[in-house]
Amino acid sequence: MISLRNVVKTYNDFQLNISMEIPNGRITGLVGKNGAGKSTTIKLILGLVRPDSGEARVFGTESCKLTVKEKEQIGVCLAETGFSNQLNISDIECILAKMYPEFEKTYFQRKCEELKLPKDKIIKDFSTGMKAKLRVLVAMTHKGKLLIMDEPTAGLDIEARNEILDMLRNYLEEDEERTILISSHISSDLENLCDDIYLIHDGKIILHEDTDVILDQYGILKVNEAQYATLDQTYILKSQKEHYGYACFTNEKKYYQEKYPDIVIEKGGIDELILMMTGGYR
Amino acid sequence: MNIILNHSSMIPIYEQLTDQIKSKIIQSLLKEGEALPSVRTLARELRISALTVKKAYDRLEEEGFVTTVHGKGTYVTASDKQLAVEARRKAVEDAFTQAIDKAKAVGLSKEEILEIVNIIMEDES
Repeated sequence: MISLRNVVKTYNDFQLNISMEIPNGRITGLVGKNGAGKSTTIKLILGLVRPDSGEARVFGTESCKLTVKEKEQIGVCLAETGFSNQLNISDIECILAKMYPEFEKTYFQRKCEELKLPKDKIIKDFSTGMKAKLRVLVAMTHKGKLLIMDEPTAGLDIEARNEILDMLRNYLEEDEERTILISSHISSDLENLCDDIYLIHDGKIILHEDTDVILDQYGILKVNEAQYATLDQTYILKSQKEHYGYACFTNEKKYYQEKYPDIVIEKGGIDELILMMTGGYR
Repeated sequence: MNIILNHSSMIPIYEQLTDQIKSKIIQSLLKEGEALPSVRTLARELRISALTVKKAYDRLEEEGFVTTVHGKGTYVTASDKQLAVEARRKAVEDAFTQAIDKAKAVGLSKEEILEIVNIIMEDES
């Protein structure tokens, strides 16, 4: 569905250099700290930014040469809807109906009701949660094969986030070919949703792993100086000095559980992954 | 399907899922020929990733509990009682092996291990 091969994009003080491959029917998460290159990656995939070198392809077509027909198969949710603040839901419905032949009016109206989006309020007066739900809904209503979501749950409370995640799950269930690429800061969203995770740092992919492998096999060993001195380093990805000794990040939790039953081992989640691998763990 | 997953457990999610479906098949709560929910459906219901569900289904297929018909779905295979009994027996054996390894590690003899087993069995009856 999406393929990035050695894509390089240089800005004044920042260089992105990545490769990634997202097959059909997959839901892939893109994580990383602010400024790591997540949004630039998404722009490259959408053809909004041209790569200096390398190749970005969607549906097998180069991103910046996507046809209108192909673009109709993509649903996008970026930081802004792109609609004027002065429009209301009915106006947006008209615009979407004109833009996308596949637009489903009844589905849109039903969802607006379910999500409690007011019909005649202008967007300017929407709450943050309403705006976010609208952004996601707009990306979904023309039944594209590919959804690209840049921080769809940013700034939302837990209930609104779950509603959005459930919308995405339902969307995937309706058609097995559908694929989603989602970036988020909120790791619990991704842990329960994504099949695999790309971790991007300073413009590079530093880790790509199945989500359940991260949850099941990654972990943090907490050891004192003496234990650290004799610790088998084979599966330690990274260690950090702590006041009690060292925190060591491993991708083979079980190996250490069996070999050193006395060591404290915590489950590793995506938050720990980001912090340990990008060097800010506390 | 009624599945309860424990996200704070150290047991991997796909393993919890495999075990629970397996025990449903062994107890005939899921019957021969019955279809399991699609991967996406179960992923949505349980709020876990589809790949995790797929791993559990693959494992069940390897062990002969289900078959996947490509493009159609995953079905419970002939609920082979022999197979079910063997699976349960295997689980018990594994648990014993672990316990015996531990016992050996602290230097218990065969007799001492058997004595422990006897004491536990007597306590229970």
